[in-house]
Amino acid sequence: MRSAVLHYAKLLLSSVVLLLVVITILFLLLELAPGDPVQTLVGDIPVSDAFRAQITASFGLDKPLLERYLIYVGNVFTGNLGFSFGTDEPVIDLIFSRIGNTLALALPAFVISTTGAIILGSIAARTRKRWLDGLISGTAVAIFSIPNFWLGLMLIMLFSITLGWLPTQGKSSYGQSGIQLQYLILPVLTLASSELAFKTRIMRSSMIEALGGDYIDTARSKGLSPRRVLWQHGLPNALLPMVTVAGYSLGFIFAGSVLVERVFGWPGMGLLFIDAIERQNNMVVLGVVIVITVTILIVNILTDVVYGLVDPRLRARFARPVRSVA
Amino acid sequence: MTIDQKSSQADQGELEAEVPSSGSSFDPGSAAAGAPSVEIVRTRRRRRADSVWNDFFRKPATVTFLILLVAMVLLSTLGPLFAGDPVATDHPTLTPPSAEYPLGTDQLGRDYLARVLFGGRISLLVGFTVAFLCMTLGLIVGGLAGFFGGIVDAVLVKVAEFFQVIPGIVLALVAAALLGSNFVIIVTILALTMWPGVARIVRAETMRVTQLGYVESARAAGFSSLRILWSDVIPNAMPPVIVATTMTVGRAILVESGLAFLGIGDANRPSWGALLNSAQAYMAAGWWLALFPGLCIFIVVLSVNMLGDSLNDSLNPTIGRVK
Repeated sequence: MRSAVLHYAKLLLSSVVLLLVVITILFLLLELAPGDPVQTLVGDIPVSDAFRAQITASFGLDKPLLERYLIYVGNVFTGNLGFSFGTDEPVIDLIFSRIGNTLALALPAFVISTTGAIILGSIAARTRKRWLDGLISGTAVAIFSIPNFWLGLMLIMLFSITLGWLPTQGKSSYGQSGIQLQYLILPVLTLASSELAFKTRIMRSSMIEALGGDYIDTARSKGLSPRRVLWQHGLPNALLPMVTVAGYSLGFIFAGSVLVERVFGWPGMGLLFIDAIERQNNMVVLGVVIVITVTILIVNILTDVVYGLVDPRLRARFARPVRSVA
Repeated sequence: MTIDQKSSQADQGELEAEVPSSGSSFDPGSAAAGAPSVEIVRTRRRRRADSVWNDFFRKPATVTFLILLVAMVLLSTLGPLFAGDPVATDHPTLTPPSAEYPLGTDQLGRDYLARVLFGGRISLLVGFTVAFLCMTLGLIVGGLAGFFGGIVDAVLVKVAEFFQVIPGIVLALVAAALLGSNFVIIVTILALTMWPGVARIVRAETMRVTQLGYVESARAAGFSSLRILWSDVIPNAMPPVIVATTMTVGRAILVESGLAFLGIGDANRPSWGALLNSAQAYMAAGWWLALFPGLCIFIVVLSVNMLGDSLNDSLNPTIGRVK
């Protein structure tokens, strides 16, 4: 039990370190970026040096780099991500007003791609080297090779512009609040597609490996039906690598939603991010990346917990690190 | 092999089973016998390499996608010489594809064929340059880490873990937006966010090969470590690295197109992704504007991925075994 506590303490610590690294990289990038924020604020009007110094001091920009960095890190860890440039809204409020919309895309896409991949990958592994496997594997590579956002554009062209079945942009019709289902279909499909393809390939190879195990021979020789062998004996073992991959994939779905939200005009965190980048609203940019990172790290820890739950072998020898170095 | 190792390999999507033990048929005993046996070994290795390439080029999928890829590369490199001016606006605006304008014209009356061909130049150049940089960096860092272990190894593992967790495109987006976005910056950023994927594979392979008999014999023969790494370890670790590099070409093209679609890229030399960015506003009026650049990306990335896949099958024949 103590080793389990130690294990999760280590994991937590390394997550915090990772977050610090992300913040540091972003902070340095901001320092490297060309442009002078005070000049931007003042504009082209000539001002006295005293006034300029006053503005610089009011933002704390006269302090040395290290001190500003430490202040920023301290603020982040107390939940203060700064204020949006121009509107003075707290960045954290801005993000929380948008994050629900992004989750409305990301969670269905995650569920669809994971369950779909488990089913399709298992079928492909079972029918290995036959036409059904060829169809599934071939389609997976093809979908994996399509630029996600272009697929979205093509879906809009087909279902919205040509057929007129589904709306093109936004999350609900004009004047309505909330999210309407017909607005959700295309973005979720787009977002899920490449993850589905990727995870299907992983699932196929891990299922093929599981089906090569001796216990599968045992199950077959007991006279179990092929279906039971596949789903009851093969699946639990084949699912293990899938847990890790699914954990990582949530991060990539978050990243992918930036593009998909842009294509579908979906007012989520990704669109906020793009707007912030275009307007050089750096505090918002930093804030979104930090929120994405924290989400991913939390998912990562959850993945590790789930891993321990589904694989009793790992629980038994907790002294060894679960996430052993590759 | 731990589960995490397996999944990190599966991450690449290609290394489905154990990596091939190319050259492991080398008998350490024969190396000690002197020069003649070295000759034998060399021919044996060459014969094996021949059979891999024979196997690779004999597959219909390889031939199909190789022709497609070569065609796209030729079109993008030589095509612009024959196509008209991509910025001349003296054509009718928004005409659908016809005999005169095979890919139509855009909203400003520019010949879209010329624009797509010029765009291909940028997209392909980004893809291949980034993959080459990733392979170079990956071989150097991954090779040193896998061979010597120690601090380089510890740092590499952490860096690789970092990029496995944080989606590279988010960092690339921020970096490109802050540092400006010309060709060199985009390529540098993509290479910096993608090389750990290759390095991880180099490291794993190097570690495996380093434990084999012929490395031990080379050590016993008194060769220096770097010489062994260069002439024995790296060549034998190459097969999965080649596959990973091939896949990196496709990934780099995809990520670049995504960045360009978001408006980050060289505005004066639009890649396929940038063409899609400007096409979005004219989807109802000009379907061809959004269709063709995306189709080009799809064909190139699909070809690269298919070639990587079948290369992987030829280099790792153990996967072909069915129980």
